[in-house]
Amino acid sequence: MCQFQAEQSKIINNCNIKGKYYRIDFMCEKIAELARPGQFVHVQIKNMGERLFRRPFSIFDVSDDGVLSIIYKVVGYGTCVLSGLKNGEICDILGPLGNSYSIPEIGETPIITAGGYGAASTYLLAKNSQTKGKVLLGAKNKDELILCDEYKRLGFDVEIATDDGSCGYSGLVTDLLAYFLKEAGIKIYGCGPNSMMYAITKMLKGTSKIAELSLDENMCCGVGACFGCVIKVVAKNEKGWEYKRSCNEGPVFKSNEIYLDF
Amino acid sequence: MANLTTNLGKLVLTNPVMTASGTFGYGEEYAKFYPLKQLGAVVVKGISPFQCHGNPMPRICETSSGMLNAIGLQNPGVDNFINKPEYLPFLRKAGAVVIVNIWGKSVEDYCAVAEKLDGVEGIAALEINISCPNIKEGGIAFGTDPVLAAKVVSSVRKKTKLPVITKLSPNVTKVSEFAKIVVGEGADMISLINTYPGMAIDIETRKSRIANITGGLSGPAIKPIAIKMVYETANAVDVPIIGMGGIFTTADAIEFFLAGADAVAIGTANFIDPMTPIKIISGINEYLDSHGYSGIKELVGNLAI
Ligand SMILES: Cc1cc2nc3c(=O)[nH]c(=O)nc-3n(C[C@H](O)[C@H](O)[C@H](O)COP(=O)(O)OP(=O)(O)OC[C@H]3O[C@@H](n4cnc5c(N)ncnc54)[C@H](O)[C@@H]3O)c2cc1C
Ligand SMILES: Cc1cc2nc3c(=O)[nH]c(=O)nc-3n(C[C@H](O)[C@H](O)[C@H](O)COP(=O)(O)O)c2cc1C
Ligand code: FES
Repeated sequence: MCQFQAEQSKIINNCNIKGKYYRIDFMCEKIAELARPGQFVHVQIKNMGERLFRRPFSIFDVSDDGVLSIIYKVVGYGTCVLSGLKNGEICDILGPLGNSYSIPEIGETPIITAGGYGAASTYLLAKNSQTKGKVLLGAKNKDELILCDEYKRLGFDVEIATDDGSCGYSGLVTDLLAYFLKEAGIKIYGCGPNSMMYAITKMLKGTSKIAELSLDENMCCGVGACFGCVIKVVAKNEKGWEYKRSCNEGPVFKSNEIYLDF
Repeated sequence: MANLTTNLGKLVLTNPVMTASGTFGYGEEYAKFYPLKQLGAVVVKGISPFQCHGNPMPRICETSSGMLNAIGLQNPGVDNFINKPEYLPFLRKAGAVVIVNIWGKSVEDYCAVAEKLDGVEGIAALEINISCPNIKEGGIAFGTDPVLAAKVVSSVRKKTKLPVITKLSPNVTKVSEFAKIVVGEGADMISLINTYPGMAIDIETRKSRIANITGGLSGPAIKPIAIKMVYETANAVDVPIIGMGGIFTTADAIEFFLAGADAVAIGTANFIDPMTPIKIISGINEYLDSHGYSGIKELVGNLAI
């Protein structure tokens, strides 16, 4: 059973890294100590007025001295307010929540496929992995590409795909993944828009390869109490599927568990 | 220290704060934050005779000072609830006072759950949900039709020795009439309010933000409606009342007591701050002490007119 808690966390850095992407660092010792790759935190953003919900963000990185970092993209009201919070302000953070990626075994080469802010979710995995592998980063265009240098610094090969061809391969990052599928000894991970995760699921159907994919569903409680964040997983019943909570049984699901109904 | 002991007829609680059905899962999740024994009672998510998958996604959305949900009463079914370690056995071990919220698609369904739960160790009361707006059959249909409401309550009453709470819908013209009807059929207590039907639309996709199209509105947005309905109900019937709807703070809870609630339930607030019920329990204590009340009873219905 996962262990989690609420922690009053002081902001020690909150800065723009590129375009709409920001990095925020919290002093958040207890959660940082427990955090595993792929888990997320549920942040109560102050000053949101009539908007009540917490916002979920992947744990990007943690340090031994209790710093927990998030990479976030400003997409709406909450993330916009978050980008305006100052050093020294306190946020109530719940975490670490959800399950985690399994670390590649010795001899297994990790291939991480990430799109948009999904690249934040797999960084700790790469950092903790004994064997270095590849990171396939996808984005709309070169201005939306993040974390290339960070992954390179960990010793990973970074391959890039952009929708408009402004950097790297012109097309979908899943096309890049297709090149590597036949290689032996690889372990595939993914985090990005759900459409991308479902595309990977489809690619792997009928092969013996199983990917670990982190799905992105809207969340409310974040701890498994509301049943508002479910996804369809394969089940032995008359329908062939059942709903599982992505905050609790996920956000990481095995590709052979994910049920595709389209 | 004021006395928080709360008498709801035969049901005696250490304090008047419980959790609202559907907002607390089956207890296990929030037991990581505090011992469930500290609550007056835990009201679990609606249980039906059969396992239920619930509605398609999206099931929730944030709205001004509240939220819409159409979960569709996803639940493991009564047999799994009784037997699987993560449900009732877990709550029993945690020493929680358990109230089981029940629902069905027909009167027979309601009776089947009540019958199965009767005599099972570790259940303090049943709450009949005749007010869920999010399922096609049953639910709110029972709560908005006086004849059906009477039928469900009288039938369940015959199947159980446990105290029976009836949870009313706010989606009626005169909630006090429904309160009188269900009390007449043997309900030992009334709880209110369930969510209020509502809708929200994404103007880019032109789709409803909820796959079920409509959902139930909860949170601070519905609190004034809930207070008024508790007030009217308390003046119409003589049984204990459990008030809920948008309780986020101690002050919110005190408003409900003054309107006539004997106990309160915390719903949506759990999703925002899991410690809310515990904070409110100690807040009520402080309020009673600082205002010179010796117990919660002195507050109930004590509205200055
Ligand atoms: C497990 C998980 C991990 C995540 N990790 C990251 C991360 O590392 N970095 C990052 O930038 N974002 C991450 N997100 C997405 C992030 O939670 C949303 O972008 C954020 O909640 C939007 O809030 P807002 O108030 O700015 O947007 P709103 O104004 O509320 O909405 C804008 C858009 O964001 C979407 N959205 C709103 N709330 C949520 C939600 N709770 N979950 C998912 N999407 C939502 C809406 O559908 C809408 O399209 C993650 C989401 C999940 C579920
Ligand atoms: C996500 C969610 C699920 C709910 N599920 C149930 C349920 O299963 N049975 C029930 O009687 N009420 C259910 N309710 C209604 C609540 O118990 C409560 O009556 C209502 O939300 C008003 O209280 P609040 O504003 O404090 O949340 C649910 C509410 C929410 C928000
Ligand atoms: S967000 Fe509430 S169960 Fe997942």
